[in-house]
Amino acid sequence: MSAGGSGAAAEAIPQNNIIAFGVAGGLIGIYAAYFLVDIAGQYMSFIGALGAICGMIWGAAAVRRVASYGLGTGVPSIGMLALGMGVLAATFGLAVGGIAGPVLAVISAAIIGLMVGILANKVLKMGIPIMEVSMTEIATAGTITIVGLAVAMTGTFDFAVILEQVITTGYIAVIFIAGGLAILHPFNANLGPDEKQDRTLMCGLEKGAITMIIAGIVASVNEGASGALTILIGLALWYIGFSGYYDRVKRDAYDVVGSGLLPSKEELE
Amino acid sequence: MEPLTGMGVLALMGAAATIAGASEDLESDVGSQSNPNSQVQLAPQMMYPHRIHSKAVSGEPPSNALMCAIGGTTASVLVSTGASAALALAIGAIVAATIHGTYAATSYLGRSASQKRFKQPVYLDVMRSHIPVIMGYSFITTFCILVVSYLMATVLAHPFPLPLLAFIWGITVGAVGSSTGDVHYGAERQFQNVEYGSGLNAANSGNIVRKAESGLRNGIDNSWFCAKFGGPVTGLAFGMTVFLSGWITAVFDPSRGDAIGWVSVIAGVIIVLILILWNRNIEVAARKAYGTYKEDENEAEVAA
Repeated sequence: MSAGGSGAAAEAIPQNNIIAFGVAGGLIGIYAAYFLVDIAGQYMSFIGALGAICGMIWGAAAVRRVASYGLGTGVPSIGMLALGMGVLAATFGLAVGGIAGPVLAVISAAIIGLMVGILANKVLKMGIPIMEVSMTEIATAGTITIVGLAVAMTGTFDFAVILEQVITTGYIAVIFIAGGLAILHPFNANLGPDEKQDRTLMCGLEKGAITMIIAGIVASVNEGASGALTILIGLALWYIGFSGYYDRVKRDAYDVVGSGLLPSKEELE
Repeated sequence: MEPLTGMGVLALMGAAATIAGASEDLESDVGSQSNPNSQVQLAPQMMYPHRIHSKAVSGEPPSNALMCAIGGTTASVLVSTGASAALALAIGAIVAATIHGTYAATSYLGRSASQKRFKQPVYLDVMRSHIPVIMGYSFITTFCILVVSYLMATVLAHPFPLPLLAFIWGITVGAVGSSTGDVHYGAERQFQNVEYGSGLNAANSGNIVRKAESGLRNGIDNSWFCAKFGGPVTGLAFGMTVFLSGWITAVFDPSRGDAIGWVSVIAGVIIVLILILWNRNIEVAARKAYGTYKEDENEAEVAA
């Protein structure tokens, strides 16, 4: 039983695999974009957004896990919290880390997340058994999302460039809110007792692809990055995500009808 | 800047904000977003399946912040490539409305599919009819918020860039819509089948009105109802927020000296005090006119 209930969510894919997918995919995407932009050309910047999508899917899975303990209306808040912690960790990591910036950002996010999780359980006494782990995961996923999208927008994680092209120009706002909604929306949109993990994660892919398209729009005016390829791949991934999601809705729903009246009393019994 | 120009810009911003507030509230009502959504979500579990759109994107502030930040980002990119402002803002609003449409689609599909055991079907015609309406309203909201933000960034020379201003105004319009407009839909429209003013008894949870004046009720019926009062009053509330918060610095311009800056702060405090007193008077007058909740005769008998 998940959603609205108060227990662990059923998982077809174990969370540890998703964590590995998120951390490894995210960091590989960020570093691959950074180096390949130098070697092959600016059009490789789209790989950063792929890394960010790994982070967002992981974040959505982590939100799903912790929110299954009856969080209900707290789901949106936890998504915003993820990106709030992520902005802190990402700017700190990139500002002091140099080439190791993304790794440092991820480590500092894990520390911030763990502290917030301990505060939530020990001080606020929320009593959710996986709170510490989940907060660590969510903060880290938020950081990977921010760094990945920033790399997709600029082609680098050099802090001076990010400061000039992402933060001063205000595009950090769209990273914050679009990344946050990509993490919180999948579970929020599928909330209910018959929620399924793969459907939620497919929604995460679809929302992640939307942030990729937005990153592509911004990249089109930055010299270090290329927008066209990012937008095209984003659109393709969105199509895959949405059709996959719709297939799973058809599989899971009680009925998908073109139109119709409400189920009759006999049907409901 | 000339004080007269400032006042003119402020008037334009106030007008755009009023439209944005009204369309924001109606947009959330079509999809039953925010507070009323909990009852729409609960209804099938209490054996009341329905044909009402469930746009569970998140609270209104984050979802409007998303729309406006996407619109602001796209517009800002286009402006920096040399496009005209009017075109850039319109295209930004189109992109934002399209993306909002995908959010509205996935939340209706997902929420309905997750209620399989309560036999809530997914009605595709509900999506087909509601999502264009939602996108239309969200285009108006985003465009008006972008007008406000663009005027602030360029004419009033606000230090924040356009995407950030749009983001902040998006949160604000969502918060105003959520606190002002939702009351009209959630408390009245969803529970027209119980006596006016009786509050929401726990036994009535989920028992929302599912049948309309003709046929089965949907979100578009709800926006029709809310367009009479909830939407316009949200528009007025948000328009006043934008206008009054700009008015104090337009009249008492802090750039003309510290003393005038402090006068603008004092003017702001006086406005807030007047509004608090005014609201209090409305509340007291309403309580006097309508009184406390009167028990039914049946309830009185049970109590005795």
